[in-house]
Amino acid sequence: MDYAIKLQDVSVSYLQSRSGVSSVKDFLLKASFVKPFRKHEVLHHINLEIAKGDSIAFLGPNGCGKSTLLRTISGIIVPDKGLVDVRVPISPLLSLGAGVEVELTGYDNIRIALVLSGYYHRKTRHEMIAKIAEFAELTTEQLKKPAKMFSTGMLARLTFSCAMINQPELLMIDEVLAVGDWGFQKKCEKRIHEIIDNGATLLFVSHNPKEARQLCKRGVCIIEGEIIFDGDIDEAANIYNNLFKTN
Amino acid sequence: MAGLRGFTFIFLIYKNIQLKYKQTLFGFVWSLLQPTLYLLIFVAIFSRAFQAIPNYPLYVLSGLLFFVYFSEGTNRLCTVFLKNTHMIKSLAIPKSTYAITEQGAEFVNFLLGLIPFIFIMFFMGLKISFNLLYVIPILLLFTVFIYASGIILGSLNVFFRDIAILWSTLNPALFYLSPIAFSSDIVPPNLRFLVYMNPLFHFLQIFRDVLYFGRAPSLHYTLICLAITVIFFSLAMVIFKATKNSFISNL
Repeated sequence: MDYAIKLQDVSVSYLQSRSGVSSVKDFLLKASFVKPFRKHEVLHHINLEIAKGDSIAFLGPNGCGKSTLLRTISGIIVPDKGLVDVRVPISPLLSLGAGVEVELTGYDNIRIALVLSGYYHRKTRHEMIAKIAEFAELTTEQLKKPAKMFSTGMLARLTFSCAMINQPELLMIDEVLAVGDWGFQKKCEKRIHEIIDNGATLLFVSHNPKEARQLCKRGVCIIEGEIIFDGDIDEAANIYNNLFKTN
Repeated sequence: MAGLRGFTFIFLIYKNIQLKYKQTLFGFVWSLLQPTLYLLIFVAIFSRAFQAIPNYPLYVLSGLLFFVYFSEGTNRLCTVFLKNTHMIKSLAIPKSTYAITEQGAEFVNFLLGLIPFIFIMFFMGLKISFNLLYVIPILLLFTVFIYASGIILGSLNVFFRDIAILWSTLNPALFYLSPIAFSSDIVPPNLRFLVYMNPLFHFLQIFRDVLYFGRAPSLHYTLICLAITVIFFSLAMVIFKATKNSFISNL
């Protein structure tokens, strides 16, 4: 089958400082010269194949490695072992407000987001800015203000709209849906469905199984860096819910 | 990963320049203020003490400007990865982009600031000749040196947050160790090695050859500067390469 993303035996580890050494002072006082850092493996031997048009929800408790997995797929983190093969361009929405410069205006920030995602032509950018502003329902007056004067919801609308405005082939969303007011949430949901219906692949991280069920067909449960379940979303949601019942 | 084009770099440099002076009262004028203030103090107070140095104001200025460039540049690069934590965590663009565009902004800013100072230098007696063109390659070399030093500091600062504090504390010491307001001749011979160990000393020598003496830079010091830059740059690349993939877990 033609896959969009393939992960083969992927392990990711972080370099972490021993005993919380984070300054030269600690480094000297705690005499941790010998081995100031240790490797901490976050993802163990992940195997995953994602077909074009799949919509997958990643479920799991905090700190299980969901975000790390998405970052590895998008190329932000380089794995120690294994193979990551991504065949589609990615449009990641990993954290809201990433790259937002609060001192600059809304318009400036849209421009930065567009340039960083590869829109170099002034004319296309001009059209995109108008579309983004419309989708985000922000007025010219609001967008002329520096981003620090935006409310959290307005900021979310802005960044979300930048990522959603075009038809990405692969959309990654990391726990950022619960932003904006009810109306905007509905609008985003509708837009995500549109994007999926047009053949995009969706990778979705959430702590809300209900939301995941609405958007995704396939569910992947991750616990402590290992995939414990990969299959139907309803089953995955049950497993996720049961995780918290026993304790 | 999206291939970054030159345009992205220029755009981000522009953004950094924009950011530098947002919310400041005098904007760009601030970057002229520090060297001007130092110059006035040195000329007013030290020119008598160093009467042996002819045209003392020009002597000071031709060293001071480049020290300020070095200190601004390294201090900004020192915290560049911390400042861009969010972007580093959510965008798959090479991490060196942040440092290159920061240094780029600093470079443009320095060039703009140089314009009024070049006029002042002519006023102080700088001779117009083709030798002045030597400043361009030296300045580019110096910029690479600053970038390399900054990358070393910036990479380490991700793991040890007091590197930035340490560096801003060491900066004044380096300032007084560099022959900016004095001539290295006054340092006793047995302590001269301290002067030679300072990489800035060698750069100041060739900048002064051009801007103070109006002659071609000495081959001896040019080669030393070249060697220093190559060493620092290689070291920076080694450190950056070894640490960059672990930035995320420490930011």
